[in-house]
Amino acid sequence: MSRPGVEWRGSAAERRVHRNPSHYQYLKVGLECEPRGPGLRLSDAAFKQTIVAALRGLHGEIGAALPVDVLKFEERSLTAILRVRGSDLVKLWSALTLVASCKDKKCAFRIIQVSPFLLALAGNSREFILD
Amino acid sequence: MVRFKSRYLLCEIVFEKPQYRQHIDVGSVNRNVRNAISQMHGDFGIGCCSLRLEVTYLNAYTGIVLIRCQKDFYRILSTTLLFITFLETKNQKFPCFFNTLHVAGTIRSCQKFLIQYNRRQLVLLLRDCKTKKERESVQTSLLQCSLKVWNEDQPYHGYEEMEGADTD
Repeated sequence: MSRPGVEWRGSAAERRVHRNPSHYQYLKVGLECEPRGPGLRLSDAAFKQTIVAALRGLHGEIGAALPVDVLKFEERSLTAILRVRGSDLVKLWSALTLVASCKDKKCAFRIIQVSPFLLALAGNSREFILD
Repeated sequence: MVRFKSRYLLCEIVFEKPQYRQHIDVGSVNRNVRNAISQMHGDFGIGCCSLRLEVTYLNAYTGIVLIRCQKDFYRILSTTLLFITFLETKNQKFPCFFNTLHVAGTIRSCQKFLIQYNRRQLVLLLRDCKTKKERESVQTSLLQCSLKVWNEDQPYHGYEEMEGADTD
């Protein structure tokens, strides 16, 4: 009987619709390096350090203090799943866009997928292969 | 008619020692505030605020400063002022903090608030006076605080004209 978004006050139901109700936003990002050879070897801590440094550059100390979580990090492909609060998504995304180099190598952040639901990042019709 | 709207922040700079007040000027406060914005809010912050960021008025005797910024980004400036812990000028650091007294859209509104604030401060000073001579001098300046005397005083008129000429 209880649907999400419907509150019961006494006998009357109240439905509240928010424009952007998500508390967290999840981003699937990849780091692409320009020399396609050996490439970049980063640990997960170094990856997070790159993100925080990018935020510090564009948004200062207050940007660097934003709670950004690296939920999953794949070292081989340098892709990661990040979590950030809904209100901070714009700051994080803009900071990642302006990253030009990492450890003196030219690189760029590619935002593969953004979603307020983590489950949406689990599968992707482009990469999903049915045997 | 498009009007460029600004926000004026009336602040009081409280120093560790009162004699540091004479060392600061408009340029040093401007530079320090810009550095602090650049450090706290990064390139985005300084890019937003830099164009219309200006120290309009500085009173070295009382430490009152009036800072102007764009209406849309005054939040960046007001949060940055909380983080300023010293003012640097001529390779000297003076520890201080910024106390925001009033935020207004025009200089005239800040002026009105400042007059009332100063009047209240004089009463507080009178209460804290220690010697009889100090008490007498504060009392005479309180009695001189009449509207007629203020209208004859030139310096404030300049700021009224400046507010109208804000058309960049």
